[in-house]
Amino acid sequence: MKRLRLLDVSLASVSFLVYLALYLPILLVFVLSFFSMRRGRVRWDTFSFEWYARLFSNESLGEALLNSIIVGITAIIAATVIATLAALHVNARPSSRSARMLEYVIFLPFLLPPIITGLSLLIYFREIGVSRGLATIIVGHAVFVLAIIYRIILTRLNSLSRSLVEAAQDLGASRLQTFRFIILPNLRMPLLTAGILAFALSFDETMITLFLAGTDGTLPVRLYAMMRVGFTPEINALITLILGFSIVLTVVFAFAWRRSGGIDNNRITRI
Amino acid sequence: MANHETGGLAPNQDLPLLRIRGLGVRFGTFNAINPLDLDVRDGEFLTILGPSGSGKTTLLRAIAGFQTPSEGGIEFDGRDIAEMPINRRPFNTVFQDYALFPHMTVRENVSFGLRVRGTGRKRLNDRVDSALGIVGLEELGARYPSQLSGGQQQRTALARAMICEPRMILLDEPLAALDAALRRQMQNFLKSVQRQSGITFLFVTHDQSEATTMSDRICVMRSGSIEQIGTPRDLYYRPKSKFVASFFGASNIIEPCEIIDVRNDVTSVRTPVGTFAVAGPAPEGGSGLALAVRPEAFGIGNGKPANQIELTVVSVSFIGSETITELKHRNTSLEFKMKARSDPAAIPPAPGSVLTVGFDPAECALVSGDTG
Ligand SMILES: Nc1ncnc2c1ncn2[C@@H]1O[C@H](COP(=O)(O)OP(=O)(O)O)[C@@H](O)[C@H]1O
Ligand SMILES: [Mg+2]
Repeated sequence: MKRLRLLDVSLASVSFLVYLALYLPILLVFVLSFFSMRRGRVRWDTFSFEWYARLFSNESLGEALLNSIIVGITAIIAATVIATLAALHVNARPSSRSARMLEYVIFLPFLLPPIITGLSLLIYFREIGVSRGLATIIVGHAVFVLAIIYRIILTRLNSLSRSLVEAAQDLGASRLQTFRFIILPNLRMPLLTAGILAFALSFDETMITLFLAGTDGTLPVRLYAMMRVGFTPEINALITLILGFSIVLTVVFAFAWRRSGGIDNNRITRI
Repeated sequence: MANHETGGLAPNQDLPLLRIRGLGVRFGTFNAINPLDLDVRDGEFLTILGPSGSGKTTLLRAIAGFQTPSEGGIEFDGRDIAEMPINRRPFNTVFQDYALFPHMTVRENVSFGLRVRGTGRKRLNDRVDSALGIVGLEELGARYPSQLSGGQQQRTALARAMICEPRMILLDEPLAALDAALRRQMQNFLKSVQRQSGITFLFVTHDQSEATTMSDRICVMRSGSIEQIGTPRDLYYRPKSKFVASFFGASNIIEPCEIIDVRNDVTSVRTPVGTFAVAGPAPEGGSGLALAVRPEAFGIGNGKPANQIELTVVSVSFIGSETITELKHRNTSLEFKMKARSDPAAIPPAPGSVLTVGFDPAECALVSGDTG
């Protein structure tokens, strides 16, 4: 009994230390986004939203954040459409030559070092005379997140019983109706998962973006550039905002997952 | 509509609803279905019966359109449907795993066939109500498939297949997943729905007793070919091959068998255990013959039927209403099984004692041997 309790206590303290190491820096950033610091000590009497105000008046950071969001959303929409079509094809004819080709083509950019992908795209765009800008970044990100979206959708499609599609057709549904009434409703969760994951990937993608960005870069590129001149305290406000956004996203996601989970779980065990 | 006795013949014999001619399915070099002909009559309950791997599912999938045949034609109601897309074929399927749409309620599942056809709300609701009524699921319309028992899922699948009022329904081992008691109940239920609706049922099973109790006719399949088609009684009493004879109840097979005489519709055959008379003409292609005798055809002593064998008792087992006696022929060591109604007054023969066992010429059949 006693030995067991000792073990519990030591385990608990180790986990506590690990969590401390993980979250202390984040906590510090959070605190520093509201207070100022002098000589290594937080001055608790200085609470203000000053850094947030400065962040929003700092045009280059705000613009970079907006760019990141535009790039992320556009690239995900484009990649999702392509990935869904590809996954539908591979699911319907898994052993066809075109299916195997598709798998390679989609996975290559994911496996290649980003520096190679970025460089190749850069050379390609220069050769065909497209100047660097948001559009080129979007293409780069779409190529990069395609594989993960494709994989998630294909996994779900393959787990759907084949006879569901056959049953729909047997009852008179056209291909389009089968997709709309049977396949799409079963893809809701994977699409949400893939979208969030892909957005996270796109949001901090730096290497490919560095090659493809013109004058307007995404947030990571902008932060990278700021490192040379040193960070100003509004960076704490930025990190806190992104953190808050991620937490909200996680919670929403968890709720959506649980709500569809009731049916989802049974479905998986039944099929 | 079509209403007929079990075992009787379906109406419209001269006009099959489904006409299959030379239909074959190959997977690579493997012939899953050897080119075959099959007629399904309007309003009948036809069962495709065969062991696992004999091609039942493949045949059904070819008819439904899920599997493109390698050759041959399919006509439905006089129209060629071999090239017709799945969603246009005028009949529906009940799948072995039910294939209920997991994200739809029972009601939504059942109404699916009408919804994709753009049926109006009022008409749709009426039809769904009546279909749910037929299968006894009026109360469960709002449930999801995962909230249903196996039997209820089965009923939902049936209602969904019936909603568009097809003239034929294909069912691939729909009862295989149910336990024995529920299975028997669903057999009766399916049969009564089929009789009342008059819809033609093309039913697949590997269970001989299921096929026998439900079907108007049975089509026995073996290794991708049709072995024999007929009413359950035909197949039971007049099997054409050893395979069918042993599939329908454990038959005693006596072989080899040589025809020595045919006279007045009685065929005499010589076998290693004696010479016997068999009612009916000799089958064509009379080589590789065997004589099949049902265990219940054997009787001891009284009545003196035409055919007799002397056999040694190996064991006697009492299983309630029936008593099964295992016997052996002394010289050939061929084994026999005799089944008789249990007699409370009888003293069971001791193992090792010799009995004279007889059977009637009308209660045995000449069948073709292994390569049927
Ligand atoms: N898609 C397929 N590819 C290759 N062989 C198949 C395929 N489907 C079925 N078979 C083979 O065809 C034969 C008949 O299968 P099936 O029709 O499922 O038999 P049953 O339903 O009578 O058990 C089996 O030997 C099976 O392995
Ligand atoms: Mg099968």
